[in-house]
Amino acid sequence: MALIEVDNVVKIYNPGLADELTAVHAASLSIEAGEVAVLTGPSGSGKTSLLSLIGCMARPTSGRILVDGKDVVKLPERFLTNIRRQAFGFIFQQFHLIRELTVLENVLLPLFPLALGTRTMNERALSILERLKIDNKKHLQVKKLSGGEQQRVAIARALINKPRIIIADEPTAHLDRKLAQEFIDTLDQLNHEGKTIIIATHDPFVHDNPLVTRSIVMRDGQIERIDTK
Amino acid sequence: MTKHLKIIDYAVSSLLRRKFKNGAIMAAYIGTVAALASVLFLTRSLQTETTALLQGVPDLIVQRTLGGRHELIPVDYKAGMAGILGIGTITPRYWGYYYDALTKANYTLIGSGGETAPLTMLEGRLPQTPDECAVGAGVAALRHSGRSGQLILVDSRNTGVLFEVSGLFTSESDLLTNDLVVLTDRSLIDFFGYPPGLATDFAVSVPNSSEVQTVAAKIKKLFPDTRPITKRELVRTYDMVFNWRSGMMLTVFSAAVIALCIMAWDKATGISAEEKQEIGILKAIGWDTSDILALKFWEGLIISLTSFLTGVIVAYMHVFFFNASLLAAVLKGWSVLFPAFHLTPSFNSFHLLIMAFLTIIPYIASTVIPTWKTAITDPDSVMRG
Ligand SMILES: Nc1ncnc2c1ncn2[C@@H]1O[C@H](COP(=O)(O)OP(=O)(O)O)[C@@H](O)[C@H]1O
Ligand SMILES: [Mg+2]
Repeated sequence: MALIEVDNVVKIYNPGLADELTAVHAASLSIEAGEVAVLTGPSGSGKTSLLSLIGCMARPTSGRILVDGKDVVKLPERFLTNIRRQAFGFIFQQFHLIRELTVLENVLLPLFPLALGTRTMNERALSILERLKIDNKKHLQVKKLSGGEQQRVAIARALINKPRIIIADEPTAHLDRKLAQEFIDTLDQLNHEGKTIIIATHDPFVHDNPLVTRSIVMRDGQIERIDTK
Repeated sequence: MTKHLKIIDYAVSSLLRRKFKNGAIMAAYIGTVAALASVLFLTRSLQTETTALLQGVPDLIVQRTLGGRHELIPVDYKAGMAGILGIGTITPRYWGYYYDALTKANYTLIGSGGETAPLTMLEGRLPQTPDECAVGAGVAALRHSGRSGQLILVDSRNTGVLFEVSGLFTSESDLLTNDLVVLTDRSLIDFFGYPPGLATDFAVSVPNSSEVQTVAAKIKKLFPDTRPITKRELVRTYDMVFNWRSGMMLTVFSAAVIALCIMAWDKATGISAEEKQEIGILKAIGWDTSDILALKFWEGLIISLTSFLTGVIVAYMHVFFFNASLLAAVLKGWSVLFPAFHLTPSFNSFHLLIMAFLTIIPYIASTVIPTWKTAITDPDSVMRG
């Protein structure tokens, strides 16, 4: 059984209104545990929309999405939050860190709703910051960091809940080649630790990378082709 | 529990991050609460003062009326009343009002034969000769005439009269004794030029309080041109002056109105795009709707509770340490003379509680409710800038 199963999913924005828009049309795909899957296609083809649906950030208009065999589409909001928290770690295109908070505070943020002790929280956060080599800046406000450093904080935050799936949307958009390579290296490591990785990107440097095991090509909201290696 | 401690922790840091906005809200909030609580404290203290004051009032005051107006009463009536059963003593009282052009203040001049409130002499003694007077602490301060000073007042013939200040007094209630000048009956009659044989009113004591009404009725029957006022009626009148209930209503009403204004303002300001995005981020990284609402609840509670308590403390200082300097002029407008007025701390915790509810709850509601809509929407908007 695949880790992620997307079955005939449709996403319509503003249904019934004048600006109704079908962003994802009858998409079906599956991703196995341990894969590095890439959604590619031109801008506006529906990559981000499909990624949101897979990551339980939004609900499809119709169709089924199974995470670990469980249909998440009809789950009540609270359960959806739980799945989002336990299964997924997100790295957003704009990082979406809270700029006035410190590096450490940002990384701790996903842990606040869990009833963990302060010490456990800090230990977890520090070990991840160390591994991403950003622990020396832990008390610095995020807005004082460079783009590459901010992305490392964003990755750290995505990892703090020990998710099995990492989701990243256009992760190299704000990075130069060197930093993009560093990012790929980090993903490689995470993948070797068993994490499944799903990336939306139109950067050839990412989607042509040997790391990628499955490449899902989108056009106008539809899946044009799926290549596997 | 740990979870809420963490969320409170985050709420505090969120509030600190928006120092300017939250500071402005808190300042407005504290100002509002301080104003309302000042009114509450002041009204309550005045009421307490009044109660103390009324303790010195005679059981029955007999005035004469002519054409519905207060007239001087013939001292002869005393003999006629003396026969009424139940009456203890009858004391003719001589008093009047005096406007002092020099200090632009109203004094109450009263003859020493029938002073109302029990006066506590601070220094010296009550006047014993016609050229002596005793003054309340307020008058003394205003005229800089301590004891052994002098007081010049202009009498009804427009002649300045010089009185030696023989004593300085205060009483349990500063409110009315403050502007009091006590003369001997003799010099008071001269001063105002009252015709001989007439007094301002009679103070009548009735040893058995249950007979006061009957005695009053008998006096009215015997002397139809008089108006006996019982102590109880007086209490009621005073209560109306500081009409407690309507005062309370006013307070409650304005508290509600202002709370609504804060709420409306907050609603109008809405949650900023930045806040909206932050809520989206929190949801995306695993916060539940209820966690976000809890966060907003704590933010609202921290702001409103801190502001409320600060406001109450500010009001307490204002009223009882600074003698309600900002409100006194308005509320006690009928007398200009309150330099040394000192209020005794007194407050009603029930009223404070009502005020707490009327300001804190709407505020929390106004922080949580606008968040609701954002908190329940799918967080996928954070996926796009
Ligand atoms: N919240 C939204 N409301 C309406 N239309 C949207 C919304 N989000 C995305 N779209 C539209 O859906 C289409 C697909 O967008 P998106 O999934 O972001 O594509 P991509 O990530 O491939 O660029 C675009 O035409 C976009 O304008
Ligand atoms: Mg996109």
